[in-house]
Formats: sequence, C-alpha cells, structure tokens
Amino acid sequence: MKVGFSRTCRWAVPFVALLLVGLPVGAADYHSHASMTEHLAWLARSEPNLVRVGELARSQEQRIVWMVEIGAGSEEDRITRPALLVVAGIEGNDLVGPFAVLSWIDRLAKQYREGSPTTDLLNTTTVYVVPCLNPDATNCFFTVPKIERNINGTPNDEDHDGLRDEDGCEDLNGDGLITLMRVEDKEGQYITDPNEPRLLLKADPLKGEVPVWKLLTEGIDNDRDKRWNEDGPGGVNFDRNFPCNYRYFAPDAGVHPVSENETRALADFVVAHPNVGIVLTYGAADNLRKTPPSGPPAPRSKATDAINDKDIGYYETIGKVYRAKLGLKKDLEGISHSGTFGDWMCFHRGRLSLAARPWDPGVEIETSKSPKDKDPNDANVPGAKKMSDEGQDRRGKEEREQLKWFDEHAPDAFIAWQTVEHPDFPGRKAEVGGWHPFARTNPPAGMIEEVAARHGEFLTDVAGRLPRIQVAKIECRLLADSLYEIEILVTNVGFLPTVLAHGETSQQVQPTRLTLDLETQCFLAGERVTRLPAIAGSGGAAKVRCTVRVPDRDRIRFQVISALAGRVQGTIELLKAGEK
Amino acid sequence: MTIRASILRRNRSAAALALGCLLVTAGAWAQTPAAHVYPALGVGADRRVDVAWNRFYDHAGLADILTRLHQAFGDLTKLHSLGKSTEGRDLWCIEVTARNVGNPDRKPGMFVDGNIHGNEVQAGEMVVYTAWYLCHQYGRLDRVTSLLDNYVFYLVPMVNPDGRDFWLADRNGAMAGRTGSTPIDNDRDGVADEDDCDDLDGNGCITMMRIKDPQGREKPHPDYPQYMMVRARPDEPGEYTILGWEGIDNDGDGRVNEDGRGGYDLNRNWAWDWQPAYVQRGAMDYPFSQPETRAVANFVLAHPNIASGQCYHNCGGMILRGPGREGGEMKEADARLLEIIAEQGERILPYYRSMVCWRDLYTTWGDEDTWLYGARGILSYTCEMWTSQNLYKTDHDPSEEQEAEFIRHVLLDDGVVAWRPYDHPTYGRIEIGGLKKEWGRLPPSFLLEEELHRNMAFALYHASMMPLLRIADVAVEPLGNRLSKIWVTIENNRPMPTRTSQDRDHAISPPDLVSIRGSNVKVLSSGRVMDRFFKQVQAVEYRPERVELDTIDGMGATRVQFVVQGSGAFTVTVDSARGGLLRTDGALP
Repeated sequence: MKVGFSRTCRWAVPFVALLLVGLPVGAADYHSHASMTEHLAWLARSEPNLVRVGELARSQEQRIVWMVEIGAGSEEDRITRPALLVVAGIEGNDLVGPFAVLSWIDRLAKQYREGSPTTDLLNTTTVYVVPCLNPDATNCFFTVPKIERNINGTPNDEDHDGLRDEDGCEDLNGDGLITLMRVEDKEGQYITDPNEPRLLLKADPLKGEVPVWKLLTEGIDNDRDKRWNEDGPGGVNFDRNFPCNYRYFAPDAGVHPVSENETRALADFVVAHPNVGIVLTYGAADNLRKTPPSGPPAPRSKATDAINDKDIGYYETIGKVYRAKLGLKKDLEGISHSGTFGDWMCFHRGRLSLAARPWDPGVEIETSKSPKDKDPNDANVPGAKKMSDEGQDRRGKEEREQLKWFDEHAPDAFIAWQTVEHPDFPGRKAEVGGWHPFARTNPPAGMIEEVAARHGEFLTDVAGRLPRIQVAKIECRLLADSLYEIEILVTNVGFLPTVLAHGETSQQVQPTRLTLDLETQCFLAGERVTRLPAIAGSGGAAKVRCTVRVPDRDRIRFQVISALAGRVQGTIELLKAGEK
Repeated sequence: MTIRASILRRNRSAAALALGCLLVTAGAWAQTPAAHVYPALGVGADRRVDVAWNRFYDHAGLADILTRLHQAFGDLTKLHSLGKSTEGRDLWCIEVTARNVGNPDRKPGMFVDGNIHGNEVQAGEMVVYTAWYLCHQYGRLDRVTSLLDNYVFYLVPMVNPDGRDFWLADRNGAMAGRTGSTPIDNDRDGVADEDDCDDLDGNGCITMMRIKDPQGREKPHPDYPQYMMVRARPDEPGEYTILGWEGIDNDGDGRVNEDGRGGYDLNRNWAWDWQPAYVQRGAMDYPFSQPETRAVANFVLAHPNIASGQCYHNCGGMILRGPGREGGEMKEADARLLEIIAEQGERILPYYRSMVCWRDLYTTWGDEDTWLYGARGILSYTCEMWTSQNLYKTDHDPSEEQEAEFIRHVLLDDGVVAWRPYDHPTYGRIEIGGLKKEWGRLPPSFLLEEELHRNMAFALYHASMMPLLRIADVAVEPLGNRLSKIWVTIENNRPMPTRTSQDRDHAISPPDLVSIRGSNVKVLSSGRVMDRFFKQVQAVEYRPERVELDTIDGMGATRVQFVVQGSGAFTVTVDSARGGLLRTDGALP
C-alpha cells in the first residue's frame, strides 16, 4: 500500500499573493510565524523543483504548522527514498531551532543549485523539516509582555481548583517582560547568594540559614489562593505528549498522549512516511552531547527504554561528529524527558532518533574554556577531591557561571532587581527582575548565525548517514535448458544498517524484500518474494539465491524494496543454451 | 419471512425515507395482536417499540431500533453520533434519562458500550436492550423511574460497527471482524489485507479445510464424527491433516489466509498503560489513533459526570476489572467497591465469575476499562458475555462431547456444516466443513434474551451504586452581633463516593465545592466539619465562601460550616462533577 505525502499533508500554494522579491529575512533575527511563512513562501517559489511547503496542521490559535519537504524527483521517488526528518520548535520556547533549520534549508537549496555533494544527496534523499511545531508558544517571544512558555494554549486546571487558567503572570514593573519577583518573607525558602548578590539560593536549615526571600514569577494572586501565577494560560508541551514513558497527570503532558492537533498530525505524518530512517528533534532533550545509555535487548514483550547495545555505536559515532561540530572537547551530561517525540520514534518506532538542544549557555561556557581551565571538581582530573576548595559554596555554581558568561556576552540577559509596590504584599519589600525571558534558551542575536551554521553542517552530515541499498552483483547460471540458478547480491552503501536491531524488535520497519517478476510455479527453489535480513552499512551484503525454470523469456525483472534504504530495480539477462 | 424482516431489508437499502414509512407500519403492526398478548414478568405490556430480542441486527438494524426508541420516548432519550467509524458508520449513542427531571447533563452518568470487538455482536444487542428496557419500564417500575430521575445512561452499542457488519454480513469465521477496518499489512509484504479467508464452497460461511492423509494425525471423533476431529492416539494411525480455515493463497506467497482484513485490536488502543505493538499485539501506532476509540474517549472526556462504566464483550462469563497488568494502578478502596459490586453481579449472572484481568485472565495493555479507571477515575468493568456453562446449567464447562450432544439434540444440527469434498487449487481434493462461526461465542436464539436481560440487570445494579447526593440539612445558629454559624449537611445515599481514590489521588475531577451566597451575607470563615459531636472544624485557608471537598463519601454525610455576617436570604450550592449540582435556600435571622 502506497501512502502519498498528500494524505496527511495538504500542500498549500497560498503564496501567489505574496509577491516577494528576495530573502525576506535580512539581518539575523528570530522568525515570527509571519516572517517564517513569508520565508517559506519565498523558498517554495524560488525552488519549485526542490522545496515543497505544505500544511501539517493548524495550531489551536489557527496558525499553520508548516512541513517543508526537500528533495528532487517525483512524489513517488521522494516517498520511497531514504529520509531524514527534522523537527524544531516542538519545545515552545525554542526560537533558535526554527532559525537554524530554516537557514539550513536555505543553504541546501543554494548548494543544490551550485552543484556539490549536496546535489547528489538531494537527488537520492528526502528531507522533511517541521520548522516550528508549536507556533502558538513561540509567538510569546513577540508579544508584549514577553513571556517564556513551552506550552500551547489548551486550557488546563494546573492547581486543580475547578478553574482553568485563572492565575497567570502580570508585568508589574511595566518593562514589557515577565521575569521573576522576590519578596521579603520569612516563610520563603531563599537567601541571597553570598557569592553573587543578584542570585538567590535555597536556604539550608542544616547550615542554620534563615530564609529571607520568597521567589515567584512576576504577577499577582488573581484567584486569591495564596499562590502566585500557578494556573496561567495553557497548556501542553508537545515534547511531553508522546506515548513513550508518557507521564500521566503531569501538568504539561496533555490529557492523554498525542492529544493535540499538532502532535497528532506529526504522529500521523511519520506513520504515513515509513521511509523516515533518522529523526532529529531540536528541543530540551539531548542525546548527542553524550552517548545515551544502552543495554541488552529487553525480553520479549517487555518495553525497553535503553538503546539496544547493538545499535549504540551509531549513536556514539554521530554524537562524536556533533560534539566536534560544536567544538565541545568533552561530553556534557545528556538530558532526557518523559513523553518526547524522539523517544517514541526510537523505542516504539525503531528509528535512529537524535535529540539536541539547539543552544544553551552551558555549551558556550564549556567551549569557551581554554584547556588549562580545569574544573578542580571534575572527577576526570586526578586528585580532584584534594584540590577542591572545601570552604567554597558550590550551590548555585552553574547559575553563577552562566551569569558571568552573560555579563560578558549579553549583559541585558539579567534584569536588575527593581522595587515595586505589590498589592499582595503591602508594606513589604518586593522586587522584580532576574533572567530575561528566552535568554537562557536562545542565544543573543549576534550569535544566531554562527549557531545555525554549526547545526547546518551537522544536519548535512546526518542526512548523509541514511542506509542505501544497491545491487552489487547478479549471477545467472544456466543449469540445463531453461533451468537457471540465479544469485543476486544486495549491498548497503550507506552508513546505517537497513534496519536497526531495535527496528527489528519494534516490528515497525518492514523487512527489505526482493521480488522477482515471475510466476510462483517457475520456482524450483527459492521464492518469488524473499525477505532479506538486516544489512549492515558501509558495504554490508545479503545474497538471494533461487532456481527457476523459465522456458519462454530472455530476462527477468526484479525489485528490491527497503523501508529505510530505498528501492532498486534491475533485470537478469537469461542466457540461452549455447550462448556465451 | 416475517413482516419485520422484510421491513428491515427495505430499510437497509432505502435509509431515511424508508424510516418514516417504517414507523407507521411498525405502529400498526404492533397494535393488532396486543389484545391477545399478556406480558410475562420482566417487561410490561407496553411495547411501543417492538423488538424481537432472539436474533442479531446489523448496524442499520440497531440504529433503526434506536431511532424508533428516540421517536417514541422523546422525553427520555437523546440520540446522537459520537463520530464516524473508519468506513463511515455512525457511532451511535443514546442517552437515557428523565430529561424533564433535573438537568440531564449534571446527573451522575453511567457509560455503557459494547461491540468494540466487531465479532462480539451480542454486546450490541445488550446495550440497545438496556435502552429499550429503561424506556419502557420508566413510570411502571419505581426502581427504573428512580434510576432515570437520578442518573443518566450513555449507551453506545457499537464501538466497532465496521467489524460488526463485516462479521454479520460477510462470509468469514468466528474471530473475523474483531479488528477495525483500517488495512494492516499483517504479513509485512508491502500489501495490506490481500489474503483473507475465502468461502470456497459458497455456502455463506467460513469453516475448516481437511485433507485425507495417510500421514495425518487427526481423525473424526468415533461417536460424533460430523461434529469434531480428535487427535489420533500416539500408537494409532490418523486419517486427516487439518489445513486451517477455508481459503486459498490469494497473493501467491505460499501461505494461506495470512493477511486478512484489518489486524489490530481497538481494545488495546486506549491511553492507559498503552504499549506499542511489539509489547501489546494490535495496539496500533499510538493511543487513540483510531477514529472509533478517539470518538468514545472524547465523549467521556467531555462528560465529567460519568461515574461508572461498563464495556461489553464476549465471551467466557466474566466480570473483569483492572488492573490489566501486574502492578498497574488500582486503589484499595476502589478495588473493594468494584469487588462488592461484581459479587452481586455473580449472583445476577449465573456461572459468571468476578475476576481481576491480569491476575485471573491475562495481561493486557491499553484497554478501555483500565483507561476509564486509571486515567479518568471511573469505576469500570469489562463484561464477557456468554459462557458454555449455560448450555446445561452446570458449574463446569461442558465437554466437547456434551457440546456435540447439544448441537445434535437441542439445535437439531444448526451449528455445524457437514464435511463436503472440494477441489482446492493448492491442496487438491480436500473436504470443507465443521462448526459454524456462531457456535461458541454467542448464545443460541432461545438463550439470547436471557443473556441480554441479566447483563443489563447487572449494569443497572452497578448504576444504582453511583453517588446520590442530597442537602439533608442547613442549620443556622445565631451567634449574636449579626453573626451566624451555618452547618450544611450533605448526604450521599449510595456506596460510591463522588470521587474515587484514583480520581482524588491524581486530581482528575475538580474538587467538590460547597459554597454560600447571599446579597447581604459575608462569609468570614468556613471549613469541613471533621467531628460533628466535638464540633471540630478544619478551616479553609483562603476564599472562605467556597469549601473544597476532596470527596463526599458514600453511605454517609459530610458537613460543612460557614461563619457568616449579615442577614436575610442565602443560597447554598453543592457542585460535584460526579455527584451533581444541588442548591438550597436558607435565611439568616
């Protein structure tokens, strides 16, 4: 059964009206939904043979969630070729991911025109990109006040009081930003960080620390329940809304897995596009900064959430490439979350599923360290324990380092505390300030291009690692008049195997099969349809042998169909007795 | 052919227009014999909608009964479709309640569905029978009247109408139609549903194929040769090899019937303890991926008043409750209540057993009743209708020989197809025959009505356990200085709490709210009365005009205190998602 792209994706041509000339985005800046739409319209118009833009879904606030398909050839070709799917903006506070993937598409289009390895790649590979799955949430970057949210607007009763979305944030100091607020309160939990007076630390009663501050998000207690901003607008984080390790009843997980239009459309898309062999999700999870945990395959009929030992090498290799592109000299801690799209694609659907945080200050701090800045507490450093300064308070170290980095690179990222009159705390010291929304998830404007370039190089590398079958050898021996022994050697010249070990376990990757265009009764040994085992990448091979009696033909056509590694057609020439 | 059968046939082809005619015809037909008919106990003389309950109806047939019911009992029913099946059939839901008594949307609700496995057809009749019974007995039997005055029944007879119609109308076997109708590539050859069974002998049913075989290990039973095959003893030669269900190798891959219609399980597609297909066969790609399960789930999510659920299946005579897997969530208090209700079910339904799914049957992931309970906190059962113990009313399953006796002497051989020779394209000269698909999982005609009624009686018993709230007392005690203390006593006169333990633990429903309002009344303090004799009150911390209760327990009373300032009239409101909306007025001195 062939499933066309159009089944889940309505290809839209709403761009005729947008008679734009040239690139709509000039200087590097994050894309609003409108500017992304314009940019995609421009791309689709200028590269009609390579780039197709369609509607994946409508968001709850009626924004179009775009699906971009990059690849040459007919629809039939594109849906049967090895494919990479890249999803960004699934974590709704991610602006840099959408920017990076759009820049990458631009670069691919340019390289394709110029003729380069990219041309070959896109003539034989399909790339699907969802530049922003949660446009309703990313839109909060452009609203006043600006509020960082990773959830959509589906109403939810986070505080379980029977009311929905009744206590959100307010911009108390009128700076157009929703930041933090600290209130002097003995019932609070925080003290001022002795090493950095702008930051707070959790008071430790064992150290005899008496709390001074209550730390809250900026706003008032709209529903008078002595809790602040505990039930704001929304919503569901799309990257917690998938069935693998789904956390029931978590406030941002949705009412059930795949509950939202956008997540359902994405799920239906991958079901309808079984050629997707690699998935890369830009979000809060990251399995590229460190090789994820692996283990032996789970016993039959047991769910697993560790990568199969037999597959882990592929993650390791690609992770190394990633770290090299980012300039990371050592592994950082990997990050996982429950209910991610990536884990569903990996553990339930058996695909190689990569996850990357498009940017975070931790990576910048790590890459800006010179080799001699050795962390005295790093366990890798001999004698680390001895060197550690026992007197120094390590609590809040990461945040202090970040603040230091931002002070040097983007001092606006931290808003100085500013006293406000707070109606809920009359006569008490209340201050608004702290981290600028989006500052710690998206790089400062000056860095966007560079971050995007790093990811672009990596993405192109990943697209080149799909499995790819070829027919290496066809042998046909005449045993007697019209009786032949045929041997066909199928190889995989890609990097990944035709199916991962877990892909076989998951039963979601159809076996590669070789079909000979011959009637069943012609076979004396072998079958019309032969299922091939997994074929390793980098030249792995599988052989098909059969004995057939074909009195009335000169040639036999055959086809090799692989779910993830493409399709090949061929012809076997039958020698007649006496021919040589 | 009866008049009704001809009407049905006409109706099937002619849809809406025919329906109108049908009503007139049916009414006239029902009136004539009434003068000579006397009701037996169980259902009264009123048969405004006359239905023969000793047979099965297809989707259009059951829809027709529902339509007639709705037209005859407009003040008791609402009929609507929850959505469309894969093939576009309506997922009918009939809501039965006394629509003029109270607000139908705020009464505690009982959700009953059936036939999610398309071949388990009597579940559909059971759910429609429930609607039919409730409508006709309302006003005649006090117990039914009170059920419909206090509660609302959401009845969805066919969750998988595609499978139902396939099973009833097409030539297939006992398990065909269990699945929905989305094509699935079961043999993973790139083509879906291309090699199903075939009715080779054209007799309208799929039976077995066997071949005479000197190396075969099977032989006909010595006493019941036409009813069953048995294994030859180890030291004796056999006569036959069994070749499987009737069919040919349609796709030429050297296998027979290996990729039939569909190939998944709608009752493993629910979003609780869901696991992918490699762990749970038939789960499909993600929870609620199918239009049928999603429509039903959306309906349940949109009706927070649903307090109880039952899902009807066949077979085995089981009243199953969760969890579906070892270690799955099931709160002790909820388990106890489910056990008590099911024990009564065992007495209502002879030979049925109350069981815990994973412990007493097998492990399942992602089935409907565990979603209702786990994700929504709704007390639910899966009921497996019909057990062969009913054939002879015995405490044990009859032997195969006894079953053969039943077919021979009670059914006069309806239930078996005699073996007949056939020339098979692959196997050559074979024989086709054996038991009919209706045998085994469905009761015969004369036992069907009993099955429907008893299963409904259990569902009604279960419904009668749902919370039933009453504001029993509003006591005002003046404290002087325009201050008063008000005690509101809320009774729940049924065993089920307004919120189950599962519901409370995960805050699935909103809390029950008791609030007070009056134009000249200011609430100064409030709280739940923890001990009515010592007058211990647990005060709320904020918003004293509303007291949140985590539940209102069954068979007891909950008391709330308000300390108010002011005078004149006030209204007390109890707002419970699963207990209803109650109001009463009072006055301050």
